[in-house]
Amino acid sequence: MMPQSLLQLASQKCTTGCPILDRLLGGGIPCDSVTEIVAESGSGKTQICLQLSLHAQLPVSRGGLAASSLYLHTEFPFPFRRLHQLCLSFRSSNARHFPINDNPCDRIFVQSVHSADHLLEIMSKTEPFIENSITQVPVRLIVIDSIAAVFRSEFDNTPVELKRRSSLFFKISSKLKALAKRFNLAVLVTNQVVDLMGPNEGINGLRIGNLGCLYTSGRRVSPALGLAWANCVNSRLFLSRNEEVIGEENEKSNGDFVFKKTRRKLYVVYAPHLPDSSCEFEITREGLFGVER
Amino acid sequence: MEIWRLPISASQRGKLISAGYTSLSSLSSLSPSDLARELKVSEAEAMGILKAASHSRGAETSNASCSILDGAQSAWDMLHDEESLIHITTSSADLDNILGGGIHCKEVTEIGGVPGIGKTQLGMQIAVNVQIPHDFGGLSGKAIYIDTEGSFMVERAFQIAEACIEDMSEYNRFLRKDFQECKINMKPEDILENIFYFRICSYTEQIALINYLDKFISEHKDVKVVVVDSVTFHFRQDFDDMALRTRVLSGMALKLMNLAKKFSLAVVLLNQATIKHTEGSFQLALALGDSWSHTCTNRIVLYWNGNERYAYIDKSPSLRSASAAYSVTARGIRNSSSSCKRIKMM
Repeated sequence: MMPQSLLQLASQKCTTGCPILDRLLGGGIPCDSVTEIVAESGSGKTQICLQLSLHAQLPVSRGGLAASSLYLHTEFPFPFRRLHQLCLSFRSSNARHFPINDNPCDRIFVQSVHSADHLLEIMSKTEPFIENSITQVPVRLIVIDSIAAVFRSEFDNTPVELKRRSSLFFKISSKLKALAKRFNLAVLVTNQVVDLMGPNEGINGLRIGNLGCLYTSGRRVSPALGLAWANCVNSRLFLSRNEEVIGEENEKSNGDFVFKKTRRKLYVVYAPHLPDSSCEFEITREGLFGVER
Repeated sequence: MEIWRLPISASQRGKLISAGYTSLSSLSSLSPSDLARELKVSEAEAMGILKAASHSRGAETSNASCSILDGAQSAWDMLHDEESLIHITTSSADLDNILGGGIHCKEVTEIGGVPGIGKTQLGMQIAVNVQIPHDFGGLSGKAIYIDTEGSFMVERAFQIAEACIEDMSEYNRFLRKDFQECKINMKPEDILENIFYFRICSYTEQIALINYLDKFISEHKDVKVVVVDSVTFHFRQDFDDMALRTRVLSGMALKLMNLAKKFSLAVVLLNQATIKHTEGSFQLALALGDSWSHTCTNRIVLYWNGNERYAYIDKSPSLRSASAAYSVTARGIRNSSSSCKRIKMM
């Protein structure tokens, strides 16, 4: 056993495809580390995942990993159309890095996951898969979208089951981290939120990370899967969305029209290399982009 | 053995006794010139007396050894040793205060808390601070960092090292009178180079590494701190037999404690927080169970209080329980002050 030299260990980052978000994240999603994105549905979790698996293909000089990615999805169906749409704009804006008839979608391996055990099984197969990758482009990114879906249905709310569940968390997480270490992978995991009820005390109000509490759509939420899972990831990001009324118009016949705009924000909840910070972003046809204020 | 048994002349013996020296041990710490002055004899004569005294003392100790075991120390000696030990600063004066000067060498200190509270930050800070040179009140040692979770970020360690060097040069300017030639030749790169980093992917690796540390530290005697971040992670899976886990863990803790004593270094174990279910209520506690909590000498719990981070001494044989606020800034762990908001890197 020999110690590693830290000077040669500087971790690589995978760009998100947006300079503003990259600046917030110190260059992107780090390799050899597990990053989690927590958000309620419709906040842009899957959007980031898709965007990242495209941008991982960029050459290292452009902030990418020059690599293909493995996309494990547990929520159905897989958004093929949206991926295709993002792919078109990705290819047109990065045309010079790819041959003309090349389709970036070819370098995203999609696999569906049905249960926690299935996930473990897939992960044990992942190692030989990455090792003997037939394509010339190595896999350097694993996305699990979402980890919560497989765990939230399968387990009862009894101490024994919860214990089994948290033991599985640590098993999965340690497998992921071992893979990440061995192949220098970036790992991105998404997680859902649960509503918080009642007063801000006890374990419900347990503060984890920079933000006192997480608000989205005007509700107070907490990341799913609890404290045990929070110990399993290296960094946690939170996406919030809030509807904002930007104008009203009265029409005699149709009643009141209210113009609403969704304001989205990305927060660093905790990360070993990032300060407490946040950034607004929006989702367009071309993808997800930070907004400077 | 008493003075009258010494093979010296009667007049010398008489002088010694009248000067108040009745036992051999009372002569042990005297210099010949002191004795000569006191007995009003020549220095050569005093030397002769001391030589005779030390000779017969040597004979005595070989006949009936005073200490029962080799290496046994009196509590007085131990106190003296402990006072001369240098502590590793945390870079937060408030935190150092409640810790009695910083992280103690020869002891195992456990630090635990919820994710995002700053365990890894504190671990990195200690690994950097142990390298502060003697001239600046540091240990001038090296660090071993055992990373089981993959949370160690080189870029962050670099930032902390940079800030540490800046702080030292600031300190240098204030104390120029004392340290004229005290130039800081350290670069952040050197600090990173002096952290021996081990990345661990399973508990078997973790145990193997800790067994190997003894050999490694024997070859690198200047290692003054071992940080394990975290001791917990790999032990929270795959253990159906909890009794086995307890045995393995306490064996590991024992080895670490021996290392701390043998090489006079500090061992810092980072632990995760978990929710403990007792009698129908849920409580926040550090992981690995009750038997583990006996194994560490000191236990520090990090927690949120409102918007501030706090450290609390949960267990220590020598420190009183107290808590102090600290903050995690771009420059590393620092004192918390509500007036000085945390500096953002952006």
